[in-house]
Amino acid sequence: MEQVNNPVQSSTQPAAIELKRMNMTATLAICSTGWLIPGLGHVLIGRWVRGAIFAACVLLMFVLGLGMHGKLYDLEFDEPLHIFAFIANIGTGMPYWIAERLNFGLGTMTWPSYDYGTTYLWVCGLLNYLIVLDAFDIAQGRKP
Amino acid sequence: MIVSHFTALVLFALFVSTVFALITKNEPREQFRYGVFVFLSFLAVAFAVGWIMYPLPL
Repeated sequence: MEQVNNPVQSSTQPAAIELKRMNMTATLAICSTGWLIPGLGHVLIGRWVRGAIFAACVLLMFVLGLGMHGKLYDLEFDEPLHIFAFIANIGTGMPYWIAERLNFGLGTMTWPSYDYGTTYLWVCGLLNYLIVLDAFDIAQGRKP
Repeated sequence: MIVSHFTALVLFALFVSTVFALITKNEPREQFRYGVFVFLSFLAVAFAVGWIMYPLPL
């Protein structure tokens, strides 16, 4: 039996969201940019508001972490566990390299908020990794 | 910059919950509700763990 489109039924169903998929080169370029400058990946996709909020969160956490005298870790093979801290720190991208060049993030262990500052610096880098993965999913059409 | 532990905790929870909410949910209403839930969860767990550790001789 042939089915006839029912306008009432079709109007109650949620509208399908068209997911656009970019090619892999563009996606990787967006992810790289988003890693280097937090939030820029989403801005390039056209998610201005989301990108601005991400940038504000990551950069504010980074600046607050430095302000609390947190420590930025270098790549040191003498202390193997510090490699994990380094990986978390470089997640921030360009701000990490700038802070390193300007000799910020030396870490003052006697400062009251040293632990919090170091944690802020780790977590903002790790959050930026998640943000880059979110940009990847959007660029690949996996989420709206 | 000297920030009290509580202020640092609240700011940390605010930033992390904002990013989590935007990443995991798509609709603005869902994002807001989830963000508030994660934020309050952070605070509740911090208070609970703080009180549990209070009698410990550290």
